[in-house]
Amino acid sequence: MEDETFDCIIVGAGVAGLAAAMTLARNNMKFLLIEKGEFAGAKNVSGGVLWGSDLAKLVPNYWEEEDAGWERFINHRRLTFMDDQSTFSVDFKSSHFNETPYTGVVVLRSKFDRWLAGKVEDAIAESDYPMDSFIATNIKVDEILMEDDKAVGIRTGEEEFHANSVIIAEGVNNLLTRQVGLQDDYVPADHVLTGIKEIIRYDQDQLEDRFQLNGLSGMSNEFIGYATDGVEGGGFLYTNRDTISIGLVLGLKDLREKKKSPHDILNHFKSHPVIQDTIKGGEVVEYSAHVVSSGDKRVMPKELYKDGVLLCGEAANLLMNAGKAIQGMDYAMRSGILAAETIVDAKEKDDYTSSTLKSYRKALDESYVMKDMNGFQDAVHMLHSPEMFKDVPNLICDFGKKFFSIKSEPTKKSRKLMAESIKEHSSYWDLIKIGLKGAKSL
Amino acid sequence: MSTLLTHIAISDGKIKRSSLEVLSHCKQLAENNGHAAEAVIIDADASNYVDQVKSYGAEKIYTMEDPIFKNHMNTPLLKAFAKVMEEANPHVFAFASTESTKDILGALAANQDAAVLSDVSEFDLIDGGISAKRPVMAAKILSSTEAHDDQILVSVRSGSYDLVENETDAEVVNIDFSFDESELQATLREIIGASGDKIDLSEAETIVAAGRGAKDEEGQNLINELADVLGAGIGASRALTEAGIMDPSLQIGQTGKVVSPQLYIAIGISGAIQHVAGMANSKVIVAINKDPDAPIFEIADYGIVGDLYKVLPPFIEELKKIRN
Amino acid sequence: MKFYVCIKQVPDVNAPIQIKEGQLIQDTNRMILNAYDASAVEEALVLKEAHGGEVEVVSVGPDKVTETIRKALAMGADKAVHIQTSGDAEYDSATYATILAKFFEDKEYDVISCGKQSQDTDAGLAGSMLAEKLNLPYATNAVGLEMDSDKLVVKRQGDSGQEIIGLPSPCLVTCSNDMNDPRIPSLKGIMQSKRKPMETIELSSLGIDESELSPKTKVTGYQEKPGREPGQKFEGEPEEMAQQVAKLLDEEANVI
Ligand SMILES: Cc1cc2nc3c(=O)[nH]c(=O)nc-3n(C[C@H](O)[C@H](O)[C@H](O)COP(=O)(O)OP(=O)(O)OC[C@H]3O[C@@H](n4cnc5c(N)ncnc54)[C@H](O)[C@@H]3O)c2cc1C
Ligand SMILES: Cc1cc2nc3c(=O)[nH]c(=O)nc-3n(C[C@H](O)[C@H](O)[C@H](O)COP(=O)(O)OP(=O)(O)OC[C@H]3O[C@@H](n4cnc5c(N)ncnc54)[C@H](O)[C@@H]3O)c2cc1C
Ligand SMILES: Nc1ncnc2c1ncn2[C@@H]1O[C@H](COP(=O)(O)O)[C@@H](O)[C@H]1O
Repeated sequence: MEDETFDCIIVGAGVAGLAAAMTLARNNMKFLLIEKGEFAGAKNVSGGVLWGSDLAKLVPNYWEEEDAGWERFINHRRLTFMDDQSTFSVDFKSSHFNETPYTGVVVLRSKFDRWLAGKVEDAIAESDYPMDSFIATNIKVDEILMEDDKAVGIRTGEEEFHANSVIIAEGVNNLLTRQVGLQDDYVPADHVLTGIKEIIRYDQDQLEDRFQLNGLSGMSNEFIGYATDGVEGGGFLYTNRDTISIGLVLGLKDLREKKKSPHDILNHFKSHPVIQDTIKGGEVVEYSAHVVSSGDKRVMPKELYKDGVLLCGEAANLLMNAGKAIQGMDYAMRSGILAAETIVDAKEKDDYTSSTLKSYRKALDESYVMKDMNGFQDAVHMLHSPEMFKDVPNLICDFGKKFFSIKSEPTKKSRKLMAESIKEHSSYWDLIKIGLKGAKSL
Repeated sequence: MSTLLTHIAISDGKIKRSSLEVLSHCKQLAENNGHAAEAVIIDADASNYVDQVKSYGAEKIYTMEDPIFKNHMNTPLLKAFAKVMEEANPHVFAFASTESTKDILGALAANQDAAVLSDVSEFDLIDGGISAKRPVMAAKILSSTEAHDDQILVSVRSGSYDLVENETDAEVVNIDFSFDESELQATLREIIGASGDKIDLSEAETIVAAGRGAKDEEGQNLINELADVLGAGIGASRALTEAGIMDPSLQIGQTGKVVSPQLYIAIGISGAIQHVAGMANSKVIVAINKDPDAPIFEIADYGIVGDLYKVLPPFIEELKKIRN
Repeated sequence: MKFYVCIKQVPDVNAPIQIKEGQLIQDTNRMILNAYDASAVEEALVLKEAHGGEVEVVSVGPDKVTETIRKALAMGADKAVHIQTSGDAEYDSATYATILAKFFEDKEYDVISCGKQSQDTDAGLAGSMLAEKLNLPYATNAVGLEMDSDKLVVKRQGDSGQEIIGLPSPCLVTCSNDMNDPRIPSLKGIMQSKRKPMETIELSSLGIDESELSPKTKVTGYQEKPGREPGQKFEGEPEEMAQQVAKLLDEEANVI
């Protein structure tokens, strides 16, 4: 078997790698998917909402399955501004989102990835290469083999395996991406965030009552303000089957400068009176932390392809965090699909050089992924501007306090109340700046 | 009325305390349910131990003597146990969960077509059988189990029950046993006694257990010194038995021994569940570990966060003072 | 040398577990190769590499055990047998031993090796049960295996020491994980495992009617092990800590 070459070797069985693998299997390609974790998902502490409907492309009618890998579909969304005492939420719930294909499902990665890997195995079994395509776990790829700057395979330990192409889907810690020279070794800390997450378990009925869930419906809640204790970033809360995921995404640089630990900030977040009420009575069953890319285009790899290689998912820093949601998994999924389709195309042309592979970049640019990443850069920058996680939330909550409190005195017009809040928390000028920024960016 | 028979295990010329614990419990059950508590001793010189067994409430004591029982060999033992069961026809045949027991329990159950529950931490009589609690999932969880049969074998973890003295003038019945060596297919070639420490860990009042943190010579010396001061038995984590630094018979945990001393001092042991599985029932647990987040601290009554090479010398001095 | 290794798929004790209405719930339903069986496979492979022969693994269970069987094949076992159960019921050691005994009835082999116990239940029974049913000489809790001409020389861990036992073939041995460190399958191993023969056998073809299997023992429920009271933790100067704790052990816990 030493001399057998694959059409493609995929490094990493995360969302991107699995999406690519599924696409290759469906197109009767002979490939190898390699994951360093004990099983697909073993290393993936993250998880949250998988937005969009690409999952339905990979696993048609997945929602009909008894125990599919996903937790709940989102039909209830909430964006919450916090100060030390109060929360002011923009809340949207609609039965419109109950229809399949869902527009967002909550997943726990250790479960979801494993389930999706099972689906890929099935697809392999039905492909032309049931015995020659593989998913190999507990194997770490140490090096991408390059011959005159063209990828020709991979090395793990002493073993080398050859392929006409390699898809790097290694995730945010993209060492191989750097090894093949698609990204500079040094990524400045201010472009990296860290995500931490706790899973809290409840009795399922209790959870469904508390969050008004119906069947498998679920809620996603993002938080801006007090949650991050003055550190750049935001918070999130997702409902799983009988647990919730609650956590934060925080700027590494800001954390260092403010000398704060993510864990302390998470406790700070959880100790907020309103959050306390929301999460009380549960049992913390899991804690995890993981790096997240900022979604800042300035740190994207120079290119996403090169002879014999394609980059997808977070290895290519494809991620967007514009406040109203984190989108990493759906970007990973779409880019994985597009990368694989490019390889299929390359096999037909029997040309795996950049001249064919560059069409991946084109496809990605035309997809919503790059359109959004390009379009919402300002929003991304804005989310990381101090006003956004301090002044604005305070201002909004203060207005809320004034607006909703009924005292035994003449009630002021809300415009007046707003004016007061603004005076206290920031100058008109700042607000106009943010307003303009916001208007432009979202 | 039916019979609760307890096997009295002998090792190194002593009755194993754990089998007297089992006898004590069976006596209790027998009294509460109007059954008979009996015991059986199988050893090269079984009769030597009869008197001691009498004081734990056995109403009838079977003895079976043969030189072949000097060393543990499963073929003759199986034959012996089968004979005993025909003789005594016990409803419940209870054992202390020793390595020797583990070696034959399954085979005996198969041979007698009897139900069997191994390594239980407690058991009780229910009609038509017994109910028991068994630690499972590396002793993270207790399972409630039932066995229904007219003959049931059960082995009990050491330290599960207290000794209850209960003098009786038991009738002693000798079951003769003959074994023709030529029946032996398996041959015992050699016995490598546990080097050094002879204190039976499953009975030790105090245990000093060493882990990877104490793997070098200096660490070992400190461990020995501490054990001397306390008159303690020495145990080890897998990290040390695996590395051949400590004798395998000293391993404590899921693969090794289950212990329940009054005092357990874990030194340089992280507290992996498989280790904890073997010592979580200790009365008082002391942990010395330089990593404040080591899981061992979650079960330690007294946790010392520090370098064992710095902590042990003064600790040993203090204990010396207290001792005399 | 023909080795049969009996391997069992067990839940990973490190995966999050939860108890609902007395039932065990494995969050991610993670199943692995019983660690003791992995050692048994490893040792069989080592002996095969030294003395030649064949290593065949056998597992009884529902279809998902094939995942675990592949793992053993990826380690290097030559072929595998999957004895299929519905998976509706959990069986006790005796039941598995009965099924395995039926399978081995008409087989030729030198050594059957088992794990000394299942990692999840710690029962430690099926091995010696199988030996008795097949009327084989056996040794349990092996920490070392060697071939000496026609005999299998077993080093087993006894209560106070180790016993060296010679077993004629055919024989059965149950293995401790203290015997070795099982190899982690290489990528080649994983690839080859897919192409290695795996025979699937239905219980009926062994003359067993699953509906009539009635284990004599059954688990009626699970409960959390009562946890220990959180204790005191000391950080600071070694001398002080040593003094404090020694004092407490003497006066508070009085165990000195
Ligand atoms: C706390 C947190 C919350 C998040 N919430 C959301 C959310 O709500 N919605 C959302 O869309 N996104 C969310 N994200 C982001 C999302 O998790 C990532 O964007 C997404 O997982 C990227 O997918 P990927 O397949 O590119 O990389 P990954 O999912 O990281 O997969 C990479 C895989 O490659 C493997 N690998 C790496 N190197 C090697 C190697 N050398 N050899 C073999 N295998 C290797 C890894 O083990 C891993 O399994 C969140 C992230 C965090 C940390
Ligand atoms: C099926 C199975 C069965 C097993 N059975 C057993 C068993 O019966 N018994 C058993 O023990 N293990 C068993 N194990 C292995 C177990 O999982 C752990 O690997 C083992 O217990 C680790 O031993 P350790 O704590 O000594 O080593 P480590 O886990 O490496 O811990 C060493 C500790 O020493 C501390 N340390 C290091 N230097 C110092 C210092 N100078 N001062 C203070 N502290 C220091 C470190 O902080 C660390 O916490 C089993 C595993 C499996 C899979
Ligand atoms: N379902 C099974 N399939 C194959 N072997 C098994 C099975 N159940 C038990 N065994 C063997 O018996 C050993 C332990 O038995 P026990 O601890 O009694 O469950 C395991 O290590 C296996 O070698």
